[in-house]
Amino acid sequence: MTTMTTTAFATAQPLANAVEIRDLTIRYPGRGGVLALDHVNLDVQAGSFHAIIGPSGCGKSTLLKMLIGLIPATSGSGSIAVGRRPSYVPQGNSCMPWLTAEQNVAYGLAMQGAPRAERRAVARALLAKLGLADFARRYPHQLSEGMRQRVSIGRAFAVNSPVLLMDEPLSALDFQTKVHVQGELLELWAERGVTVLYVTHDIDEALTLADRVSVFSRRPGRVLETMEVPFARPRSYREVRNQPAYPAAFARLFELLEGIT
Amino acid sequence: MDTRRTLWKVILGLVLPVGLIGLWQVAAERHWIDTLFYPAPSVVLLRTWGHFLDGALTFHAFTTLRRLAIGFAAGAIPGVGLGLAAGILPAVRALLYPLATALYVVPRIALLPLVLVAMSVGDPARIFMVAFSVFFVVFFSALSAAEQVDATHVDTARAFGANYDRIVRSVLLPGATPAVFSGLRVAMGVALIIIVGTEFLASNDGLGAFIWRSYQIFDFPSMYSGVVAVTILGVIIDSTLAAAEWACVPWRR
Repeated sequence: MTTMTTTAFATAQPLANAVEIRDLTIRYPGRGGVLALDHVNLDVQAGSFHAIIGPSGCGKSTLLKMLIGLIPATSGSGSIAVGRRPSYVPQGNSCMPWLTAEQNVAYGLAMQGAPRAERRAVARALLAKLGLADFARRYPHQLSEGMRQRVSIGRAFAVNSPVLLMDEPLSALDFQTKVHVQGELLELWAERGVTVLYVTHDIDEALTLADRVSVFSRRPGRVLETMEVPFARPRSYREVRNQPAYPAAFARLFELLEGIT
Repeated sequence: MDTRRTLWKVILGLVLPVGLIGLWQVAAERHWIDTLFYPAPSVVLLRTWGHFLDGALTFHAFTTLRRLAIGFAAGAIPGVGLGLAAGILPAVRALLYPLATALYVVPRIALLPLVLVAMSVGDPARIFMVAFSVFFVVFFSALSAAEQVDATHVDTARAFGANYDRIVRSVLLPGATPAVFSGLRVAMGVALIIIVGTEFLASNDGLGAFIWRSYQIFDFPSMYSGVVAVTILGVIIDSTLAAAEWACVPWRR
């Protein structure tokens, strides 16, 4: 019995937290600096897909930038429990215009000093996975918005980090492209067993992708509620909307968001 | 369909120049204008061809080109280097920016007498005029090019663990390159003005001197042939810079 319990604990390891945010407060520097986040507490379970939704300006992006090390915490902490540097998909078009799709995907590996052959192999494999095998040598301006976002996502996966922070990677895409890329993203997530912390303002996207959805308040951002998403995997945008539990889940997130604005 | 539309655009673009030159030709032949000062385009072309064959234009063009090339390199290389450094390093900017701004507003040709006093009439003075003019244009364009590199790319580089050196080499330098080339092309336009103006006033050779001397002896067809030659020289130089840009900025093709 004791052995079995131990085994149960071992297999239950994914319940450990990949990201722990404790009383995190961020005030932008300068006189009358804006209070972006106010005592935020959040646990992101290892291996889970965790979405954050909230009104614009609620500090969602600030939270990710703090976790990736671009801005400092004013007080409290936000840490990546896994120890290794998380990977990142910044908001907006973040492909470097002077690099080809392949070089963009390999950018993080290049910064880590990975040898050329490895960079190329990893980038080629990810581009193929994302349906961009024929576009490896194209520059970002020769790609559609959807392709560029796929490249950004590929770049985030290329460095093989256990934690990925994504800042509204699909918000600029048309509906159909968005649904396609959501599917590819879920496949990559499941295949790699990584933890994703995903910022969005789209309720349906959060319900399609995430295991848990945390709703942030208007600025200064606080966590209003974290909801477990009750749908089985594998999921798709269409299947999620046909679930019996969908209307109630959508309504709850909608109310939380609307209660704010 | 597409080639036909391109052809149509080319034809439309030629209407005005061809029309104006034609009008000039007719006006000269019918003596609507004084052909001493405004000789017919056919006369100018024949004279240009003649001076090309007798070697005058080639000699003066190469003289001007040599001064341009040396002066441009002498101004553009430190201009790009210091401009990028000032755009990237706040300390370099703080050191150079006030003096550069103060000197930038002085019209360069106004300094010609001073330069002649300091360096005496000769190629060093002419080349210095070009280099000095080119430097400021290139310096400021490189400075703003480096400053205006999209912050998202810098953040991305930092997020993926790039150290300062790698941020400079993988983001700031390539990000600034297109605007640096724009600055170089503008600077070359300025350099042409300055070298021709300098040769007008302080040279016995070069296309500027050729144009000025032809004007002084009322040889207007030769004067125009000098203008034609300097225009062709400008087009060749700008095309060379455009080709260099095409080679160095493959992502803008």
